[in-house]
Amino acid sequence: MMSSKKVLWILTVCLALVLAACGGSDTGDTTTTAGGDEPGTTSGETPDTTEPSDDPVVVRAAINNDEDTINPYTYVTGFPGWNMLMMQYDSLMQFDADGVPQPWLAETVEASEDLATWTVTIVDGVTWHDGEPLTIEDVKFAYDYFLTNAAGRFARDLAGVESVEITGEREVTISLAGPSPAFDQVALGDIPIIPQHIWETIEGPSEATFDIDVNIGSGPFKLVEYVPDQSYRFEANPDYFLGAPAVDELVVVIFADDAGALAAIRSGEVDVIFDRVSPEQIELLDAQDPLDISQGPEFTTQMINYDATKAPFDDIAVRQAIDLAVDRQDIVDTVYLGAATVGSPGWVHPDKPVYNPDVAAVYDVDAANALLDDAGYADTDDDGIREFDGQPMSFEYLTNAEDSLRLRISELVSEMLADIGIEVNVASVESSTWEEAVWPGFDINNGRNYEMAMWGWSAPVQANTIRLGQLVHGDPGKGFLNLTGFDDPDLNALVDQLEVEGDPETAQQLLNDIQAQIAEKLPFVLLAYPDGAYVYNSDVYGDWEFIAGQGIVSKVSLLPAAARP
Amino acid sequence: MSDSLVAPPDRSKRRRFRGIADKLGILGIFIVSAMILMAVFAPWIAPYDPTERVGRPFQTPSAEHLLGTNDVGQDLLSELIFGARVSLTVGLVAALVAFIIGTTVGVLAGYYPKRIGTVLMRTVDVVLILPFLPLLIVLAAYLGRSLINTILVIGILIWAAPARVIRSQVLSLRSREYVLAAQTMGAPDRWAIWRHVLPRTALLATSTFVRAVSTAILLEAALSFLGLGDPIQKSWGSMLFWAQTRGAFLTPAWKWWVLPPGIMIMLASLGFAFIAFAVEERINPRL
Repeated sequence: MMSSKKVLWILTVCLALVLAACGGSDTGDTTTTAGGDEPGTTSGETPDTTEPSDDPVVVRAAINNDEDTINPYTYVTGFPGWNMLMMQYDSLMQFDADGVPQPWLAETVEASEDLATWTVTIVDGVTWHDGEPLTIEDVKFAYDYFLTNAAGRFARDLAGVESVEITGEREVTISLAGPSPAFDQVALGDIPIIPQHIWETIEGPSEATFDIDVNIGSGPFKLVEYVPDQSYRFEANPDYFLGAPAVDELVVVIFADDAGALAAIRSGEVDVIFDRVSPEQIELLDAQDPLDISQGPEFTTQMINYDATKAPFDDIAVRQAIDLAVDRQDIVDTVYLGAATVGSPGWVHPDKPVYNPDVAAVYDVDAANALLDDAGYADTDDDGIREFDGQPMSFEYLTNAEDSLRLRISELVSEMLADIGIEVNVASVESSTWEEAVWPGFDINNGRNYEMAMWGWSAPVQANTIRLGQLVHGDPGKGFLNLTGFDDPDLNALVDQLEVEGDPETAQQLLNDIQAQIAEKLPFVLLAYPDGAYVYNSDVYGDWEFIAGQGIVSKVSLLPAAARP
Repeated sequence: MSDSLVAPPDRSKRRRFRGIADKLGILGIFIVSAMILMAVFAPWIAPYDPTERVGRPFQTPSAEHLLGTNDVGQDLLSELIFGARVSLTVGLVAALVAFIIGTTVGVLAGYYPKRIGTVLMRTVDVVLILPFLPLLIVLAAYLGRSLINTILVIGILIWAAPARVIRSQVLSLRSREYVLAAQTMGAPDRWAIWRHVLPRTALLATSTFVRAVSTAILLEAALSFLGLGDPIQKSWGSMLFWAQTRGAFLTPAWKWWVLPPGIMIMLASLGFAFIAFAVEERINPRL
């Protein structure tokens, strides 16, 4: 009897230990809050002495991915990899807070009447990190280098460039095959200028191995240390042509996941997280004292893709019914807790100046059901699922397992489409499997191996309206991002026209028509544009600049106010 | 207490120890039947449909939602109750898979210890030597996320230990007089195994089965928590997965979102482990 009591007692102790172990995270929370206050008190002691001259400002940032050596041929992700690349390099133009490109390394940027020839003069007296002067030859070299040694993004930016010629002491003239109204956004603001004296000896950069000695740029920061899978250390460039940066040193720490980075910023181990903070954390982080949130609309997208070449998605009625049956507001409220913008069925973000305000999402389940009824998709066997060609309208809906928000959106979509008699079975698969099904080999000529899928594009696709043709054009050569196989002659004609239209007013008219057409014919169903939210410790550094549609991770955030565009 | 576990010195202690084992077994049966009842009658016990969004997301516990709501506004208590279905099903079916493979291999290897036995037992050794969790993760990632894959992956990885236990029992059985007598009188092996060997290994096999259920429940939770199970299925492990991905481990929500499924997993696994312990104590007191 006594031993059985003992056993019970031991069990109780075990249980108590388990509970205490769980409770430990709570105590951890309180200590982290205290720890987070520490930097506040230290900087609070010295607010009267002028900060910038004495103590060096060191900002420690958290990211979730190793970005290799971050040169134009090694950086890994479009965000924040490209953003960190551009802290070391400059482009001819730089996006300002409104997301509009402004001259940067360029002194003037002029486009010819037909928008097919762009003339750029560069600022005098810029030097590379190693002291060599940055000349117009470097600019020509950089553009030619990216054209010959195709590096995905930059070569794509330069599509249509026929020649880059030096036409003056500090002047370069870029000739394009046809008009390119957004060349400043697409190329001039995106492409880093690299030094000729470093890169002319590097052949076949896509296969080469690099160390960080190659990372000589003209930007405000220089990469001085890289420990793979652990951290980066950038030092400020005191001779930066727009003045020394406001931050003296930038340390970027690589974390395994969001949770690690969040714990680190709450305990004061890092001062900013470069990746976006998920919606449910915003309130909690904002409530903690030295932490602040910078939040704003961004141009990333969440959308439903379907194979528009196959029945029943080749029928416009089915696509329209799906569009009517999804409650976008519900998705924004439930999954993003309001921190997103309701998707415009016409693709263009409502905050963009070219947005057509007549295009708006409608949620009407009855209308959707009526549409399907009229189109002859009846539920003949009374199982709640309509039939097409004798088959039930039951589809596999692919989503990538790594993105939990996408998985939740998929579940909601499945629920919503059940209301119109379409069964959607969510299949959450590895990212690579999902990409291979939706965009095999990243080349739409390889076709599609899916029925329905969750998809999303990163900000640059939305940022440049000229890319509309890439998204919807039926010709695979032109519409190389047209993953749904959608093909509509009217829309093809419109985007063709837009690409060569020089007059801004006519271009806007065309854009309005295109958005209306996309909203009506639905090459895809756009659900939402998630907001960007970034958390930083305002006691360490608080002057982060939110660039509309792109977030806070850019060199602009780290420069003194006077130097910002 | 630990002394008595290692070497029971005399009979009275021995008996007392067996009494404890019985009591633990009854406790185990009690826990397990409560869980099974909860799983079977989930639609009647649970206040809401766990797949239905019934409130604002991220609610704290209230009279309406005793454990609050999850990240899309589904009732956590209902998820917890329905979660028993998936967790127990996976546990039982995966253990059954392991039981069938393990018993077959064990009996064959024990009855034919020379060639077949050697080959089979080396296979068992290989399976036992393989680093268990990494292999489980690789297999789960390779096969993809579905309930059946989860069951198969767990099943084909936990059969080796039962196979060993059963083989040693069969090894001793096959040299018993009645088996030898049956063989001498020309009974086919099939008949000897069926008539004499299997009935006498059944109890031992049952205890290894119950133990395997306990292991399988833990593994299912581990896989689902890592996001390698089917995240659409409501199991305790997937509740923890969502709690992790939506930050509940870092917020006060761990008290109603992380702790309850954690306790359920612990209880279910403990319940089966207790039963297995009691059964083993009955059939093989010296184990």
